[in-house]
Amino acid sequence: MSQSHAIAGDFLALLQTHGVSPSRIETSAAAPIQIQATTVFAFHCADGVLMAGDRRATAGNVIVTDKVDKIIEIDSTSLLAIAGVPATAFEMARTLQTSFEYYRRSQLQPLSLPARVRALARLLRENLPMTLQGVGVVVPLFAGVDHTVSPAQPRIYFYDPLGAQFQAVGYAASGSGSGTIRSVLSFEENYGKPKPSEMKIKDAVRFALRCLMTASEFDSATGGVNPASDTFATLKLLTDKGIETISEAKQKEFLGVS
Amino acid sequence: MTEEPYRWLEAVSNRRDYVREQLKSAAPAFAASLPDGILLLGVGSGQSKVFELFDRHALAGLGHPADIEKIRQAAIDAAHMEAFTRAPEDVSLRRLVSFGLSPQLKTNFEQIYSAPFLVELLLAELGNEPGKDLLFRLHFDGSFQMQTGGIVTAASTTDGEAAAQKWLNENFKNITDRKQMAEVLLQAWWLLVENKPFDDKMPGEQDRKAGWREAVKGRTVEVGWLAREAARAARYQPQSAAELGL
Repeated sequence: MSQSHAIAGDFLALLQTHGVSPSRIETSAAAPIQIQATTVFAFHCADGVLMAGDRRATAGNVIVTDKVDKIIEIDSTSLLAIAGVPATAFEMARTLQTSFEYYRRSQLQPLSLPARVRALARLLRENLPMTLQGVGVVVPLFAGVDHTVSPAQPRIYFYDPLGAQFQAVGYAASGSGSGTIRSVLSFEENYGKPKPSEMKIKDAVRFALRCLMTASEFDSATGGVNPASDTFATLKLLTDKGIETISEAKQKEFLGVS
Repeated sequence: MTEEPYRWLEAVSNRRDYVREQLKSAAPAFAASLPDGILLLGVGSGQSKVFELFDRHALAGLGHPADIEKIRQAAIDAAHMEAFTRAPEDVSLRRLVSFGLSPQLKTNFEQIYSAPFLVELLLAELGNEPGKDLLFRLHFDGSFQMQTGGIVTAASTTDGEAAAQKWLNENFKNITDRKQMAEVLLQAWWLLVENKPFDDKMPGEQDRKAGWREAVKGRTVEVGWLAREAARAARYQPQSAAELGL
């Protein structure tokens, strides 16, 4: 059994061992180099959930662009942060956008948060063959508003590539720079004054931008933030009232650069 | 019996009379293009009359709720399929009505052994500027009229609708304020439901204002607003009379 299928009880690994795998595991040498998008993260702050992403997309060691928006508004109360292959992730976002809005308009009520979370899980499961082939892996984050509690609360969810969904208590991160981000968030949440969860929006934005700067120091696939070259992040704040986009001008202002 | 052509014509004519008779007591709905967006207005008594269809599209109707629902679902299905397979920008009311809803309504109306749709509809498409707003008046038999901007009325009788439409066009087409327009449309609504004349015997403005306020007690004034300027793609906002300051 290969190292990548060392999980106990992995039925797909069993199929592979017997040579009856439903999917071709090895990527063809002729396959094009995949474009990847990293790094995204979300954390609870005093005003809601702040979701952030750098804007770099890479293919191998080539920087494809520094202008990708990885934080996508699915509808007025849902955010998707994409890490992985943009071709698949953007299609998932489009499918979710259409299905959430279709449900709201046709049923005259919004889809519940658990149903939204599962809808993304289902898309990830349906992407399993591509994931196993290593040509379409997407590991997203999702944020939505829970209306079953009063007052309504924004929540963060993270997924594994097979579609398992987990609710993040304080924060979640995904993508190649996520290790650094998680370390910083964990440290600050335990020892920071104020903790990220206590930060008002101005401090939270400044903190998120500095996290991306730090991640880009250790991960070449993370674009980072550089005010000198007008390179900023995609930042969106989710509250029980809706979504607010933090513009580049605001990011500049909060960072204290003119 | 219907294999004889004149029998078929008679059956269709009877059907038209039947639909109009059934719709006689239905309350009217309105749509008005304004500089900031499109206002759709109806007064419901238990059932909704104004609906969002897609990002820039809305519908208002009168008639049997089940039939309005069938048309609404068909329009929403078609719009979302088009948006998903092509792009949201490709969803067009002209195509939706003329190639989708209208032929279906006509076919249904002429199939004399099935129940006809008891509906009269208004559909609106928000443009980038008022001159590009499209308003469609779609009838139960599939016939329709399209106009760019202005005000459109859907009422249960052709005479009442024409009179209200003429009054609104002649006196109020230059209104730019949403609240003012809603006030005028509610006056027209009251005149139609109370079967008041639109000529020189029309009640005065104060009577009209008091009249609609009294008549909507126990009912819901439904306002749909398609906002021209908005951060999100979905432009439809449901509003209440109180939110409009009425």
